[in-house]
Amino acid sequence: MRNRPYATVLKPYGQALVDLARERREIVCLTGDLTRQCEIDLFQEMFPERFIHAGMAEANMVSMAGALARCGHIPFVHSFGVFSTRRPLDQIVNSVAYPNLPVRIVGFMPGVSSPGGPSHQAIEDVALMRAIPNMTVVDVADAVEIRKALPVIVDHPGPVYLRLKRGEIPVIFEDDHEFSMTKAQVIRDGDHVSLLANGMMLSAAIAAAEALDTAGVSTRVVNVPVIKPLDAGTVLDVARRSKLVVTAENHSIIGGLGSAVAEVMAEAGVGCPLRRIGLRDTFAEGARTAPPLFRKYKLGTQDIIDAVWSGLSRQGAAPAAPAVDAAPGEYAPV
Amino acid sequence: MIPNRDLGRFADRLRLRAVQMVAPHGFGYLGQMLSSAELFAALYARHYRPETDRIVISPGHYIIAAYAAAAEIGHLDEALLETYGHDGSSLEAIGTEKSPAVDLTGGSLSQGLSGACGFALALKMAGNTDSRVYALVSDGELEEGQLWEAALFAAHNRLDNLTVLLDANDSQVDGPVSSITTLEPIAAKWESFGWAAFDVDGHDVEAVDAALGQAVRAGRPAVVIGRTSTVHGLSVLPEGADGHFIKLPEELAEAAIAELEARLA
Repeated sequence: MRNRPYATVLKPYGQALVDLARERREIVCLTGDLTRQCEIDLFQEMFPERFIHAGMAEANMVSMAGALARCGHIPFVHSFGVFSTRRPLDQIVNSVAYPNLPVRIVGFMPGVSSPGGPSHQAIEDVALMRAIPNMTVVDVADAVEIRKALPVIVDHPGPVYLRLKRGEIPVIFEDDHEFSMTKAQVIRDGDHVSLLANGMMLSAAIAAAEALDTAGVSTRVVNVPVIKPLDAGTVLDVARRSKLVVTAENHSIIGGLGSAVAEVMAEAGVGCPLRRIGLRDTFAEGARTAPPLFRKYKLGTQDIIDAVWSGLSRQGAAPAAPAVDAAPGEYAPV
Repeated sequence: MIPNRDLGRFADRLRLRAVQMVAPHGFGYLGQMLSSAELFAALYARHYRPETDRIVISPGHYIIAAYAAAAEIGHLDEALLETYGHDGSSLEAIGTEKSPAVDLTGGSLSQGLSGACGFALALKMAGNTDSRVYALVSDGELEEGQLWEAALFAAHNRLDNLTVLLDANDSQVDGPVSSITTLEPIAAKWESFGWAAFDVDGHDVEAVDAALGQAVRAGRPAVVIGRTSTVHGLSVLPEGADGHFIKLPEELAEAAIAELEARLA
């Protein structure tokens, strides 16, 4: 694990897809008009014969991708998360998921990382995709994980929804980090509280754990990039050894990571309290930049710390989140 | 290939098979077969090559017609037709992933043309210039936006290996399509989207056959619009029968079979 503030890189997904497509001729790349924003201008330049511009027509794009998969291609379909899930939901169900085809639906700009208002903020994409049979749902945390995830995802037999941060992507993990479709990873050990996080909330969970440890609360951090199928074994194992479980996701608390963890804990009868960090059944709004939205909707490091503090009924003031001090080109969580 | 003079009998044999499939249930998607019988007869007898081409039945409710036609050309075991719509059968009444003898179908309407575009694109990417994609589409599907997304894509990407057979039977669940949404001028809409369009009497099987031939040679995506009726070719049906979902009680089924068998005798 590297230290905050994290260095950032540009287009790690786009580069990883190009690298993979060099070997894997079955890969075709579909875009719904956000080519550069989805980092696939790299693919367009390198493999124009396998690049399909569907225009702003997500329903047609997804149904075509299903047919291309039937012909032996592995389609990667790209747009912002809102447009790649909400808008063609019925097409994802009927043209892709029900036939269990190897279409990879990629949704950029998750949750409130977009300051573009509710139309651009994918706050329920994980819930929508998780509810669909056959669908695998992945929310990766950094550039290393993206690079490690793609070669694994490409050979998954059914459809996958891949949720990706847009723009400057932090480098959090060391190069030997491994991505697994079946295992969540304890990336920081502790024996009192477990923080389960993924995507853009992982770095906040790490920062929160450091502050909590300093304040005497031994805190474990589990990276859960695969929300479905959830690694119930690891979730239950850490929950049974914790006084409190806190989930953190850049998404609604309904239907995403927090819900998935709650379901397996409740069904197994694991009795420790659970707190969920995420949008609390509300739309956000437009802003100049994203960080104020993370603060307003309580998706920050401090909010995780506060949830632990109150969840453990600790007296006195909760420890303060480490100061955010990221220079241009660096990344630190809110 | 079956000579043209037999195409009308081919169409009536499809009607008879469909009546026999629907009869045990007392109701079903018979109107779809009655309206599209000549379209399927021309397509399956004269153009579609099962081992070479792709066939998409966009509205899954028309799968009855694809089953009847596939059985008629020996591409589907006709004994299976008796299981149509019964519990546990792979021949579900609305087409699904289990449906045999087609490359793509489904019950959520207007996704088929997009799938057909995907097939046509895949053939081009593979350098296959022989195979073609045929898609059966219904006029009610023209109400969905996705169909026009696909139509734009096909024309822009010059998918000249794609032919749509459009059953314009003016029927949807709530009544005549024309009473709900004005789709006309249908041919001009497709033409303005960059398609070749051929507007024919969909019960004139030779006209359909000729139009399909022109469509295949059009050099761009093409649509054959067949103007049809959901009660065509079965005079025993009562006045005002609901073409989307025809009731066929036992006596009516017997009369329908008798009418068709007499015509085929």
